[in-house]
Amino acid sequence: MKEGLLVVLFLIALTSLCDTINQLFLKSAINSLNFTPTFSITNIFKFIFQLILKPRLWLGFVFSAVSLCIWLVVLSKADLNFAFSADSMHYIFIALASRLILKEKFSSLRWLGTGLIVLGIIIISFT
Amino acid sequence: MFKKKVTLKILVLLIASDLLETTVHFFFKKSALSQGSSSVLDLASALVFLKGVLASPFLWAALFTVVLIFIIWSTVLAKIDLSVAVPIASFSYILVPVVSVIFLHEHITILRWGGILLILAGVILVSISSKERIVPVK
Repeated sequence: MKEGLLVVLFLIALTSLCDTINQLFLKSAINSLNFTPTFSITNIFKFIFQLILKPRLWLGFVFSAVSLCIWLVVLSKADLNFAFSADSMHYIFIALASRLILKEKFSSLRWLGTGLIVLGIIIISFT
Repeated sequence: MFKKKVTLKILVLLIASDLLETTVHFFFKKSALSQGSSSVLDLASALVFLKGVLASPFLWAALFTVVLIFIIWSTVLAKIDLSVAVPIASFSYILVPVVSVIFLHEHITILRWGGILLILAGVILVSISSKERIVPVK
């Protein structure tokens, strides 16, 4: 393991966490609209207009901006191929958040997929 | 009814989004590299670093490309399910490392390629396992 790897992994976890929080706010804002998706241009614009009036969406954007700042710091410290692959850990956070906060049901296929991502991140961290 | 029919137009859009996604990460990396070897050690040096990156045209090119990808995805997802779109669009997991090797001269061991493939397989499994609400197709 290279020196500073733990710092980089911690920062990547932090940006993934910010991304996840952004997604949760976005999902919550969308859910609160009770929108039935019909894909016509006017409907999509109406949807986006209603969405930008939600403070939760803007709160999400703040986390998104923080996430980008941390990401740029990560890229100043780590190789792109490592950082990009390790960033897939947001799948793990999203899975946990969907299960624990949104109470979504998961199939075993999704757990398997998430497990493979964990394994992949461990492998790239040690090489 | 699930929207599964991948037409040539959608396939082209998804491949374009793969390539653009890869470009975004390449641009972000270039914008970070534009600050030379200034190492970020604490919050103060991080702010100096970010201020420098903000002046890099690569950062703005990346953000512009992000908007472009968002528009492509809005179009694509109106036509096919996420569970179909994401696996096709996941090839940036391969493209980004390839670009890193060719243009950034990074070194990737065989074992790391193995890890990358596992992550790709995981991402594909997660996305095909998504059971979406049934939406009426126009």
